[in-house]
Amino acid sequence: MGRRWHTIPVIRLLLVVIVAAGFAWFASTLGARNTAFDLAGNPVDPLKSGGRKIVVLVFVRTDCPVANRYAPTIQKLSEEHAAKAAFWLVYPSKAESAEVIRKHEREYGYRIPALRDPQHVLVKESQVEITPEVAVFSSGRRLVYHGRIDNLYQDVGRTRSVATTHELEDAISAALGGKRLEADATHGVGCYISDLE
Amino acid sequence: MKHGSETLSGFFIILALASGGVATPLAAATRESARKPAAAEAQVTFNRDIAPIVFRNCAPCHHPGEAGPFPLLTYADVKTHGRQIASVTRKRLMPPWLPEPGELKFADELRLSDQEIATIQSWVEQGEIEGNSSDLPRQPAFTTGWQLGKPDVIVRAAKPYLLLAGGSDSYWNFVFRTPVDRSQWLRAIEIRPGDKRLVHHANVLVDREESGRRLEKEPGVGFGGMELVIESEAFDPDSHFLFWKPGSRPYVEPDGMALRLDKNTDLVLNTHFQPSGKPEPIQPTLGLYFTDKPGTRHPILLQLDNDRMLDIPPGERNFLVSDDFTLPVDASVLAIYPHAHYLGRDLLALATLPDGTKKILIHIGNWDLNWQAVYRYEQPVDLPAGTTISMRFTYDNSAENIRNPNQPPKRVVAGNRASDEMAHLWLQVLPHESGDATIDPRVQLQEALALHHLQNNPEDFEAHYNLAALFEMKGQLSAAVLEFTEAVRIRPDDPTANNALGAVLLAGGQIGGAIPHLNTALEGRPDYFDAHYNLGNALAAQGDFAGALTHFQAAVRLHPQDANAEANLGSALAETGNLKGARLHFARALEIDPKNELARENLEQLNRDSHGHPN
Repeated sequence: MGRRWHTIPVIRLLLVVIVAAGFAWFASTLGARNTAFDLAGNPVDPLKSGGRKIVVLVFVRTDCPVANRYAPTIQKLSEEHAAKAAFWLVYPSKAESAEVIRKHEREYGYRIPALRDPQHVLVKESQVEITPEVAVFSSGRRLVYHGRIDNLYQDVGRTRSVATTHELEDAISAALGGKRLEADATHGVGCYISDLE
Repeated sequence: MKHGSETLSGFFIILALASGGVATPLAAATRESARKPAAAEAQVTFNRDIAPIVFRNCAPCHHPGEAGPFPLLTYADVKTHGRQIASVTRKRLMPPWLPEPGELKFADELRLSDQEIATIQSWVEQGEIEGNSSDLPRQPAFTTGWQLGKPDVIVRAAKPYLLLAGGSDSYWNFVFRTPVDRSQWLRAIEIRPGDKRLVHHANVLVDREESGRRLEKEPGVGFGGMELVIESEAFDPDSHFLFWKPGSRPYVEPDGMALRLDKNTDLVLNTHFQPSGKPEPIQPTLGLYFTDKPGTRHPILLQLDNDRMLDIPPGERNFLVSDDFTLPVDASVLAIYPHAHYLGRDLLALATLPDGTKKILIHIGNWDLNWQAVYRYEQPVDLPAGTTISMRFTYDNSAENIRNPNQPPKRVVAGNRASDEMAHLWLQVLPHESGDATIDPRVQLQEALALHHLQNNPEDFEAHYNLAALFEMKGQLSAAVLEFTEAVRIRPDDPTANNALGAVLLAGGQIGGAIPHLNTALEGRPDYFDAHYNLGNALAAQGDFAGALTHFQAAVRLHPQDANAEANLGSALAETGNLKGARLHFARALEIDPKNELARENLEQLNRDSHGHPN
């Protein structure tokens, strides 16, 4: 609730374009500020790319066992909602190179485009703190939901045999139907993104 | 004797999610205070204060090749998981150690002190300062590969098991054919269960009767299942815990406690995996370490349970299952292994000595199947005869128990599946020798245990069977017949029980009574060596030598290295007039065992007869 409009980031993004252009001669990943990057090193704003689709950002880390265990679930949900939701994997670690991420995607069977977010631009906009957490945006960069995918984990190493609530799916339905959620923010279980700072 | 059945239901399960450094969000208050150094607090540094804690408690699993999902060996490693570490240590989720601290100490206890946990919290709150490099202790060195050095023999699972990327936990059993050509003594088995990040726990059971093989759809593929029943001889090396969990060092049996490995024995590895998110082929290996020092002290696994009490209504939060067993002999408890499934909550084992003193053998206040383990005492716990060992396990079958496999909850009873429950407490005990050499304290203990199980449940198949086997061992044939008959009444088609009843009737001269049971045994298990051998003898005793011949031939086919089967086959051939064939098999029996008297005498007889009555 609350945080419905994100006008300030939009202004910052304008600046980014200028700065990035200025440093385009050398490694764009070093030069560009306030942006995420695709695995080729190009600045990308996934929230502009959706067109009429809603956007789902899934925050993961290659060495987070909880995030990894969700790989089949994440891939499956992205396929089921492909027509109406654009999924992105977001790796917030500075230390995880494009090469390491490509290998990780291959190993875990991901066919979702991946972004690096070493400056935590998307982390902040999505208000996520943990991998794996997700953020669902409707058009107009409106953050509809951020938090856990489902309630499989109660804590680290404490799991249900199957999840009994499915927050991400509920959030996608709500965003598509233009409805509001009862709980638009939850806490995930997994690995702290702030540990990466 | 060749029969005996001990239900080692297998110690199953679990070693949890690889471990470590994952975290849940800190409480709001902690979040606010993060990174604000507390003025009054001394500065905590990684090099001086944190590294010693992490190196001793975390690094054994958190280094490359081990179960921890990431290494914790350097300042950078620890800093990049700092808040997670603070969170999981504060909640005592890491390091994984279930028992509450108590009077009795366990070996390799992996429990942080309150002070250590507070130090970690302070370090993270103060901003994770590295400190002086001169304070940093030496990084621990870990052995890669086999922890006990190169094994004498390595056996690998014939075929890998493919763990699927998603879904719930998997339980799989691998059957290893042991490569020994004679009986050997083992001082250790090192279990390498495959990718250690996937395995919660693994357990080796010694299987002398091919119980595991019979469950494989094709040879070498293994079979599914959470709990195992392995047949064994009455007193067996099964009485050793052969257990692996992440971070555990392979256990080397002390001198005199080696376990016997015979040829034609299988080792069954019972494993529990959790999916990792990607498909993983798993092909475990075992390293065998031999010793020339034979086992002279023979422990016994005592199993307390009360499966009949396990009938938990849905919604019940605090369901008690108890059992009490009084030791008939002095004994030392070496190790303990409490076991329940997903509804288990509070697991307590207590010893009440004859003078009324109570000792807590183990107390787990927050049971987690994922971190179950065998706990070995630092010092053996001596308990005098007359001590009562009590099991008090409570179960939570409410919807609030997040591990409850049934949502909504439903009635749960005892069983071997993950959705069933168990209430088992195993103790590895070493009975003390009595002054009287004619009394084997192990027999006293086993007998008391079987009677105890029958008191709990008069329909306990294994207890009737084991009691019968003990009577048979003591030469009390009619008592043995009664108990085996009970076992067969409970499981009319069970091949093992039918064979045993047939064998003991045969030994008592009741041939007509024996034959139907031996036939039943073979109907259930056509390749049952013991039953073929026993039926051959029964038919021969009735003068049906042609019938006997068929069964001895089958026996020899199944166990080509059994001298007695060869000798009996020779006798049956001689009786049916095939003297040439008889000579061949007597000679073969003597080749296998030059001391086989039956074969030697019969061969001599044959030679004398052929002189007197040349063909």
